[in-house]
Order: sequence, then structure tokens, then C-alpha cells
Amino acid sequence: MMHFNFIRPLLLVLLISFFIPRLSAQEPAEIIPPTDACYECHIDMDLDQDEVNQLFTHYLNDIHFQRGLLCSDCHGGDPEAFDEEDDAMWENDTYLGEISPNGEIAMCGKCHSDPAFMRKYSVSVSTDQESQYWTSKHGQSLKEGNLKVATCTDCHGVHGILAVDNPNSSVYDSNVPKTCSMCHSSESYMKGILETTSQYDDYVKSVHGKALLEREEISAPACNDCHGNHGAAPPEVSSINEICGSCHAQNRDLFQKSHLASVFKKEGLPQCESCHGNHYIVKPSDDFLNWESASGAVCLKCHEDGGKAKLLADQLFHVIDSLKINLDSAKVLIEKAEIKGMEISDLYFELEDAHNALIHSRTSVHSFDSTFVRSTAQPGFVASNNAKIGAKKALEEFEFRRFGLFVASFIITLLVILLYLKVKVFEKMKEKEKKNEKI
Amino acid sequence: MTDSNHSQSSHTKTTSRRSFLDALFGVTLLGWLGAMIYPVFRFLVPPKRPDLNVSSLDAGLVASFKKNTSKIMRFGRKPVIIVRKKSGDFKALSATCTHLDCNVQFKQDTEQIWCACHNGLYDLEGRNISGPPPRPLTQFQVNLKDEKIFITKGEGV
Amino acid sequence: MSINDWLQERFDIEAVKSFAAKKQVPVFFGSVWYYLGGVSLFLFIIQVLTGILLALYYQPGAATSYESVKFIVSKVEFGWLMREIHSWSANLFVFTIFLHMFTVFFSKAYKKPRELTWLSGMMLLLLAMVFGFSGYLLPWNELAYFATKVGTDITGAVPFIGEFLSKLLRAGDDVSGATLTRFYSIHTAILPLVFIVFLGLHLTMIQVQGMHIPESMEKVPENKRKMMPFFPNFVLRDLIVWLIVLNIIALLAVFFPWELGLKADSLASAPAGIRPEWYFMFMFQTLKLLPAHILFIEGEVFGILLFGLGGAIWFLVPFLEKPKYSRLWTAFGVGILAYIITLTVWGYLV
Repeated sequence: MMHFNFIRPLLLVLLISFFIPRLSAQEPAEIIPPTDACYECHIDMDLDQDEVNQLFTHYLNDIHFQRGLLCSDCHGGDPEAFDEEDDAMWENDTYLGEISPNGEIAMCGKCHSDPAFMRKYSVSVSTDQESQYWTSKHGQSLKEGNLKVATCTDCHGVHGILAVDNPNSSVYDSNVPKTCSMCHSSESYMKGILETTSQYDDYVKSVHGKALLEREEISAPACNDCHGNHGAAPPEVSSINEICGSCHAQNRDLFQKSHLASVFKKEGLPQCESCHGNHYIVKPSDDFLNWESASGAVCLKCHEDGGKAKLLADQLFHVIDSLKINLDSAKVLIEKAEIKGMEISDLYFELEDAHNALIHSRTSVHSFDSTFVRSTAQPGFVASNNAKIGAKKALEEFEFRRFGLFVASFIITLLVILLYLKVKVFEKMKEKEKKNEKI
Repeated sequence: MTDSNHSQSSHTKTTSRRSFLDALFGVTLLGWLGAMIYPVFRFLVPPKRPDLNVSSLDAGLVASFKKNTSKIMRFGRKPVIIVRKKSGDFKALSATCTHLDCNVQFKQDTEQIWCACHNGLYDLEGRNISGPPPRPLTQFQVNLKDEKIFITKGEGV
Repeated sequence: MSINDWLQERFDIEAVKSFAAKKQVPVFFGSVWYYLGGVSLFLFIIQVLTGILLALYYQPGAATSYESVKFIVSKVEFGWLMREIHSWSANLFVFTIFLHMFTVFFSKAYKKPRELTWLSGMMLLLLAMVFGFSGYLLPWNELAYFATKVGTDITGAVPFIGEFLSKLLRAGDDVSGATLTRFYSIHTAILPLVFIVFLGLHLTMIQVQGMHIPESMEKVPENKRKMMPFFPNFVLRDLIVWLIVLNIIALLAVFFPWELGLKADSLASAPAGIRPEWYFMFMFQTLKLLPAHILFIEGEVFGILLFGLGGAIWFLVPFLEKPKYSRLWTAFGVGILAYIITLTVWGYLV
């Protein structure tokens, strides 16, 4: 009975949150309402008419209904018993009525854990959600009798479950953070369960959150991409590098090969996270390596005393920073030449190459090997130098053009003056001749 | 006498002034001609790379391209990755990842195109098969002629 | 002298000389206008020379035009100079012809017996404008592409023959690579040929009939008129002016280069600020201002008909003007000039 108190308002929130986008979405008119006894009776009930209406409106959009499932497939009862309420529900052995959280996992699992059944709908659909669920923090707490945990319907919705790839679904990639935050961001709800409730706020500000929520880049990670979904649990220290490495593979490989990997293992430090953080992962800056930066190098978290670590960080920072400075000054020169109207679009290739090398050398920092970083940055120095040389040549050419114009202009002006003088002299002579003739 | 002398000297003065003017005029005229002809002459001298190659890219000799290797070249404004498969066949694809514009690379062990930035994978037909890339890579046509490799745009410009 | 004699034995050079010496140029406050024709001729010569040079490297075609122009301005030595001079002198060319035409109009130099000179001159102006229109597309950049699209669209609105004409110009339903090769042929083969014919006629008429005497001078008895021999006095002055013009073009080419811009892309949306070349601006602006419908015909069609009619009247001025209404024609000319200037300025401000 206890779970009833909190599940109800939660469901309502879920329902309402679904209802808002739903209104403007698909036209439910295309869907023919079911003709079973549950629907026929409940749609006409006087009690709670609004709630019932809402429930059924949602249900008509539910993927289960659309694939042919009826109320009775989850709640039990006899959908053919049109005339007698008791036959339909109370006296029917299969009737479940309202479903408890524990029962819910089993109820959904009845179909979703049955490969033979699920194959009817999709051969590639996974059927391990239920078993995964019991391994998750949610599932384990439920096992321990804690009913304040998320069950299937808390994330997927109840009478309006949409397919995962439907953008209106609460578990669509870009909706996942919001869905998780409904519980995890609520201090009062998480009281006694988890101390931190800032994960969502942190995530929204992070590079991943911005990519997913602002740029709507579906490939960017949501909560479930690092924590798992049905088996959601905080990643273990030892698995963090694999989780991040599923996208940042090169960074992982470099770090694994670096001399730091064994130290991290020995000290039990999480890779990646130690420097980059977890939910609030910002776009890495070159200042991560800069001992003199305002926030100090990230290395300082462990290497307070500097020493060899500072030496290495200085070396790495120097390579990256000087490549960046080189690239920027090449850019400035190119822009200067472009403003002067010189055609130098070819130099943008060099800039692009230099920029690529800069990206690579930033990645190569994870090797913590200054020789390797230097060799990765080398093509960038070559390219940005080429760009600089090209831009300088263009600027010289520009000066040459002005000089050439000056020379040509001088000659032409002189010629104009001389020609003018010649004409004057010539005409004077003609006049004299005329006068002489007259005399 | 003096008068005639005077007029004669003034006459020579004017003639000398005129011949100076003529000489200066001649020199300036020559200078002008030079200033006009020089740029034209330099314009006529063909530049180092007289061939404007926009529709095809010369990727070198077939023999010098080892099997199971790749190279990235510029084709117009865009980089192209040219791959020689283990079988000896050639493939050419746009080298710019469709995710965030990083340059892709050839993975020799699996014969796939890989983007190091976010672990995107493409097959050698350019199809995005895993990771974040939202679109396939554009294919280019590879033509072999006289033991040389030429890359051209796949479909009509 | 011996060369002269040698030539004289083979070719009646004295006849040519006396023919050349016959022409006299009136000396008065308006003499300065007499240089405009010569300057136009000089600019045409520059166009021919730089045009021939550019054609050595230019490759017409949707895949090569833009690239080859870029090649010319970035890789070929002094290629930028040739292109800049060609572009600048093209604009000055049209400008001086316009100026020349108006000075001729207001000094009534088109009157009998110079009707043919006026007609051939008007033809030259028309050809110069087509020269500009066709040459504008050749770099195959974004602006040129869309300006040509709009330009040929307007051609398409001409009643009855418009659609055919537009198709003929575009070599298809839309501006494409085929249009480019067509415009190239028009610009470098057809127009120069036709232009030379009318230019020859124009110059011959002037040489045969001599310079027009301004009205203010007509009352002065012939032997008291202040005149200057055309050859060599005026020709030498002409040369001085030409050199000055050359200097101005060089200055413009270096200090105000024409940008190449982005390559044309038929799928891209039209960039903001699409404008025709300035000498089409007054027509473009008029068409823009006209309401959608005037007297049961489309505004655009009405505008085109109006310009057609105006052009025809302007063309036939020497035959239409009666001495009685001479002042009225001057007023008409002032009105037209004011209209062109106002609409052009308007077009650039809006």
C-alpha cells in the first residue's frame, strides 16, 4: 500500500509530461479504439471521467495497443465479458487489477523476457531487460524492499508507452536526462538514498549535455550511455576508461599504454574521470596542462608538489601552446592578405592541416610522452609555417603591386607631361610658320 | 652682329632644349613600352603548374602504392582518402568524417575507415557502420590508366 | 622620307594623309566632350587586348570556369592585373559610351546628315551592354550566376518571344554549364565581330562627315571659326587623355580589386544583395517598383514594353525630331537622364 502514495503523483507527472507534446503530435483519429469489454465499460464510467479519458487517449498511442495488445494482456481479466463486471474482473482468476512495482517487473518480463514471443515483433529486439534490471541499483534496492526505486513504468510511462526511437518517448536519447532527473534531481525524493542530486544540472552544462540537448546530436551520450539503462549503476573505477573509450578510443588506447595507467591501477584511481570529472565534463582546454593557469593544471589534483610531473606538463603544454600560437599567427597573416584582396584560398588547406595536427596532438597528450606529442604536432608546425610563408609572400606581392603601380604611374604621368609639352612646342612652331608665311 | 649672335644663341638654346625634350620623351616612351610589355610577357610565361586539374586527381603510380595501405590527398578543396585493399583493388572516399569533420584513417587490420575523434567506423564503401557518424562518406571513382591512379568525382558535377 | 616614298609607290599614302588632315575639331568650351568617343575606343582596344590574354588561360565550363579564373588571378603572373584591368575597363567602357551618347544627344549632333552615326553609335552602346552582361557570368561565381538567372528571367517576360529568347540565351530551362559556354561564345566571338562592323561604320561616318560644329559656332563665318586640325593636333591630345585613363585604370585595378567570391552553386539559395551590373540597375529597379498589374498586363511585361518603346524612340531621335520641338526633345533627354540617375542611386540605396 505504501508505494501507492508516491507512485500515483509520479505517474501523474509522467502522464502530464507526455500529454503536452502528445497534443500537437500524431492524430489519434487514425487509430480505431478497441472493442473489448474493458474499454467499452471504462470509457462510459461516471467516476473520474477526465482521468479515464486521459488514460485512454494515451493508451491509443501506446505501442502495445498498436501492436494488438489489450488491457487484459497486462491487467488480466476477461475482455469478452461485456455484461457482467464480476465475470470480467473480480471473479476471473487472471485478473490482476492494479500492479505492484515488484509485480510490474515480472508482468513486463512475461513478454519482454521471452525471446520466442518477442521475435514475433522484431528478431533483433533484446530480451535481457528484466535480468539486467535485477543487476541494476534500482533492481537491487527493490529486492531489498525499497519501493522508492524506478521500475519499468517510471521511465517508459504507463498507458502511453512509445517506441524508443519515437522522439516523444521519455526514453528517446535526448529525453533520457530529463526522465532520469525526475527522481535524481529531487533532493526530497533522494533523501536517504543518494546525497548528490546535481548530476542533471552538471550534465546539462557539460560538453555532452550541450551536444545532446542544445545541438540535438543524438550520438552524444545521455545518462544511459555511461551508466547502462536497464542495468543502470555507477561505473566501477576499473571500467571507466572502457566506457569513455567506447567513443574516445584513441585517448583510451594512448592512456592505457602510458606510464600513468599502472599507477592509476595501483592507486585505485579512476582513469579519465580523475582529470575530466564525471557529469560536468567540460570541453578540455590546453590550460589543463598549464601550471600557471588561473585554475592550475589538472595534474595538481595529485601532483601538488610539481616536480617531474610539472616538468612533463610544461613540455606538453609548450608543444601544444606553441602550435596553437603558430596556427593563430598564420590565420592572422592569411586574413591580412585576404583583406588586401589577395587570392590565397589555397593556404586554407595548410591551415586545415595544421588544425588537424593540433587536434591530434591534443589527443596525443594522453600518452604523457613528450616525444610522441612533439612528433604528432610536427606536421602542424610544418603546415602552419607553410601557411605563414604563403601569406607573407602574398603580402610581399601586394607591396610589389603597389610599387609596380607607382613605377608605371610615374612613367605614364611623365609621358603625359612630355607629350603635352611636345604638342605645345609643335603647335607654336606651326603658328610661327604660319606667321612667317603671311609675312 | 650682337643681335644676330643673340638670336643664334637663343636658337641653339631652344634647339638644345628641344633635343633634350625629344631624348627624354624617347626614353620615357621606351620605359612606358617596357612597363606595358613586361607584365604581358610574364603573363604569357606558363606558371609552374600550367595544368588546371579540377576534374581528376593524379594519385601516382599503381606500383608504388602498397597493398593494405592508404593515403590522404587533396581533391579540390576537400581531402580524399585513397585505400589499396589487400586484394589490390583501390577505393577512394571523402576523408572528412561526417560527424565533426575530423580526418578519417584506414584501419589495416579490419580494412575499415576509422575516425579517431569519436570512434566512428565506416566500411570501404563509405557506409557508416558504427559510432556517431550520421551519414556515409562520399565515394570517388578510381580509374587506372597507364599504370597510374586517377581519382574522379563519382557522379556528374 | 624614303619610307614614305617607298610606300607611296605601292599605296597612295598621300591620299590617306590628306583624308586624315581634312578633319577639323572645333575649339570651344565643349571641346572636352570630343574626347569621349576616343576614350571609348581606347577602352575597347584595352578590352580586346586583355580579353585575348585572358582567353589564353580561361577554360569555359561549369567545372572549370571558376577554377581557371582563380588560377589566372592566383597562379599566373600578372594574371590578377589582366583580370582587374579587363573588369575595370569594361565598366568604364560602358560609362564613357553612356556619357558620349548624352553629350551627343544634348548637342544635337545626331541631326542630318549624322543619323547613321547616331544609329551605329546606339548599336555600339547596346552591344557594349550585352558584352557586359555576357562577360559578367564567365567567372561562374555566385553573384554572377544569380544575376544572370534574374537577367534571363526578365528576358523571359518579353511578350510572345520571351520564353524562346530566354531558352535560347540559357541553352535550356535554367542557367547551367551550357549557358556558360554559350555566353563565352557570344562574348568572345559573336559580339567582337558585330561590334567591329558597327565600329567601322561609326568611325568612317565621322571621318567622312567631319566633326559636328556646335550651334553656337554655326553663326560664325567659316574662316573665323576657331578650329584645330584633327591630325596630328587633336590625335596627340587624344593620346594624352588615353594615357591618363590608363593610369586611372591601373590605380583602380590595384586599389579596388574585384572579388572573385564563391563558386556558383545552383542548389544554394540566392545570396543577399543580388544586383545586376550598375548599367542595368535603373531598369532592374523600375521593374522592382512596378505594381503586379497595370492595365490588365503584368507589371514586369509593362515595364519591358515601356523600356522597349523608350529605347526605340531614343534610337530614332534623328528621324523623329522636328526643329520646332527641339527644346522639347532636350527636356525629354534631361528627364530621361534624371530618371536613370535617380533610379540607379535608388537601386543602390535600397
